[in-house]
Amino acid sequence: MFFALTDEQQAFASTVSEFLADRFDLDAVRGVVEDSHGDGHPLTLWKGLADQGALAVLVPEEHDGLGLGLVDAQVVARALGAGVAPGPWLGTVLAAEAVRLAGSAEQQARWLPALAAGETVGTVALRGEGGAWDGSGITVDANDGRLSGSASPVDYPGVAGLLVVAATDSSGTPGLYVVEAAASGLSVRDQQTYDGTARVGAVELADTPAEALTAGGPEAVRALLARGAVLNAADLVGVAREALTRTVAYDRERTQFGVPVGSFQAIKHRMADLHVAVTMAEHAVLFAAYALDSHDPGADVAVAVAGSKASDAAWEATGAMIQFFGGIGFTWEHEAHFFYKRARRRAPLFGSADEHRERLAALTI
Amino acid sequence: MDLSYTAEEEQFRTELRTWLAENIPAEWTEPGYWASLDDTESFEKRREWEARKTAAGFSGIQWPVEYGGRGGTPGMKAIYDEETIRARAPQTVNTLGLTFLAPTVMAIGTPEQKTEIIGPMLRNEVIWCQGFSEPGAGSDLAAVSTRGVRDGDDFVVNGQKIWTTNAMHGDKIFTLVRTEAGSEKHKGISMLLIDMNQPGVEARPLKQMSGASEFGEVFFTDARVPAKDCLGEIGQGWRTAMLLLSFERGASGVGQYTEFRRQYDEIVAEAKRFGRADDPVARQELARCLVELECLRYHAMHILTQTEQGRDLGSESSMTKLQWSEAFQDLWEAFEKVLGPEATLAAPRPDVDLTPFHAQDHWSRSVTIWGGSSQVQRNIVAERVLGLPR
Repeated sequence: MFFALTDEQQAFASTVSEFLADRFDLDAVRGVVEDSHGDGHPLTLWKGLADQGALAVLVPEEHDGLGLGLVDAQVVARALGAGVAPGPWLGTVLAAEAVRLAGSAEQQARWLPALAAGETVGTVALRGEGGAWDGSGITVDANDGRLSGSASPVDYPGVAGLLVVAATDSSGTPGLYVVEAAASGLSVRDQQTYDGTARVGAVELADTPAEALTAGGPEAVRALLARGAVLNAADLVGVAREALTRTVAYDRERTQFGVPVGSFQAIKHRMADLHVAVTMAEHAVLFAAYALDSHDPGADVAVAVAGSKASDAAWEATGAMIQFFGGIGFTWEHEAHFFYKRARRRAPLFGSADEHRERLAALTI
Repeated sequence: MDLSYTAEEEQFRTELRTWLAENIPAEWTEPGYWASLDDTESFEKRREWEARKTAAGFSGIQWPVEYGGRGGTPGMKAIYDEETIRARAPQTVNTLGLTFLAPTVMAIGTPEQKTEIIGPMLRNEVIWCQGFSEPGAGSDLAAVSTRGVRDGDDFVVNGQKIWTTNAMHGDKIFTLVRTEAGSEKHKGISMLLIDMNQPGVEARPLKQMSGASEFGEVFFTDARVPAKDCLGEIGQGWRTAMLLLSFERGASGVGQYTEFRRQYDEIVAEAKRFGRADDPVARQELARCLVELECLRYHAMHILTQTEQGRDLGSESSMTKLQWSEAFQDLWEAFEKVLGPEATLAAPRPDVDLTPFHAQDHWSRSVTIWGGSSQVQRNIVAERVLGLPR
């Protein structure tokens, strides 16, 4: 029995965390948050992540990747969440996963090396406005290799060179298609998310030429959604853990009534419950990543557990962060809102906590 | 990540599963069977069965062979917990002795204590009770006032213990007694091993809100105990107690998950029977419980890993307690909320008996109190894990 990260995986986590602490700290994050007209994609950060293999983690070695699994990828996602780091990491990794899972050998050879190296930014468009995250919420139609419709919200569509789009064909079957940024009829509108650590837009397609991933049927759509759910959950537990750690550190020092406020049980008990919840969410994400890597028959349950638990934990921990920092935590100058807004923007992506619980109900009731 | 057990451990699973299949009568596994028995009858049946299990080599799984144990691995203990629950094996009658007293005796007992205590306990010839809580010493255990006065080679003990599991069946009781007159808090306490079969010891049952009487009160009136029957040094009972409580291992989380997950499935079956399974709010309620139970399973694998790596779990066991006890209680709250009025009826239909559900439901209120209440556990997590000031 070994339910833990290996020494190599822990070292990988430290490398990414230390890189962020040294080269892209909260002041740098603030720079991106306050530059609301910028593309939110600092190249120093992106190159650093590429140098560490953080973009290549899931790409097979034959395509210049590291050939690792989701257990390794969630290590990166957690570190990025903890650092509230901006940039199109998740979209790029998921686009590569789509090509790896469903692309032909030729498609893999064409796109994977550039995605692994960070030369091409990728993103995924798997759901339309108001839709569900299970393949039923797709509002793009595919006809003879051309796509029409829309997808929203999409991470970093403005800087993506390659979009993986879920579309339904004339028989109503969902599939995955690759669209290049220069394709005709493709337009992107910035939707101005309140989460300044990301850039989010709506993608419009009007008779846009696309290339179907050869094995990109409904199974591939579901597999990609599951991977998105786990890596998004990993980001959320990173956010949750860091929010809790910062709150505890502050409440150890902040004095009122002549004592540290962290000595009051009203705060202690909330912190203890959050510590348990965040720890369980960390376990759940780790297990879900492993379950997908190992084709565990319980993977569907595991993904839904991780998705709901991580999003609840991050939601709670970041709300508590503002509350237990008191008035300062509500100010623009303080970093609490980076964590709070990131948690709330990400919580509903790839399925909200409620949607994941309904999935669990469908699987077990 | 590697969630498999070793070949040796899987072999153990096969042997145990076979033995359990051959030694558990079918009627024992029917819902409500144990609840239908008189308390004494249930106890004696379980005592006899457990003695047979010990003779077959399926007790003291992780204990050293020299103490009559199997010398098994933490993984085998987890498998044991999982398989016995899966087979609906009867619960042990000597929980507190086996879980707490035995490893403490192995660690600090005298050679005589090791010989006299462990074997008979394992064979269920002696049933042990734990005498810690008192009417005035619950969460504040160091407030114990049961006193022991030295009289020659003996201590003479007077006082009262409460919430004593198996009080009516106990033969001996490991008891926190204030043996230094005038001492306060953690000082001057000794852990005395008192024979309950003597005129100075009287046990009375306490009827619980569930109607069962698993625990009771124990009164000491000039009870005598030889001074040599002190575990650890005289006056160092608090230290002995802390060592003893540290043996609450998290690996049983694997067994707890198996049990609670089965209860979840049983509640789901009732929800379907009563037409509540399609209600979206009920589905959210149930799924919320399942999330916590699955997290308990992952946490148990984490704890088992830590144990196998030889790491000290320390205050992390408080998190384990919070997770399992709150998840279990929430599961039974969901039973009430989802089933609504039908949940409150023992016989909502002529062919439906919800009595066993009510027993679990009401029992679930106790688990966030005993063994350190949730409030005490939250203090421990906050102070010793997170480092918040006292």
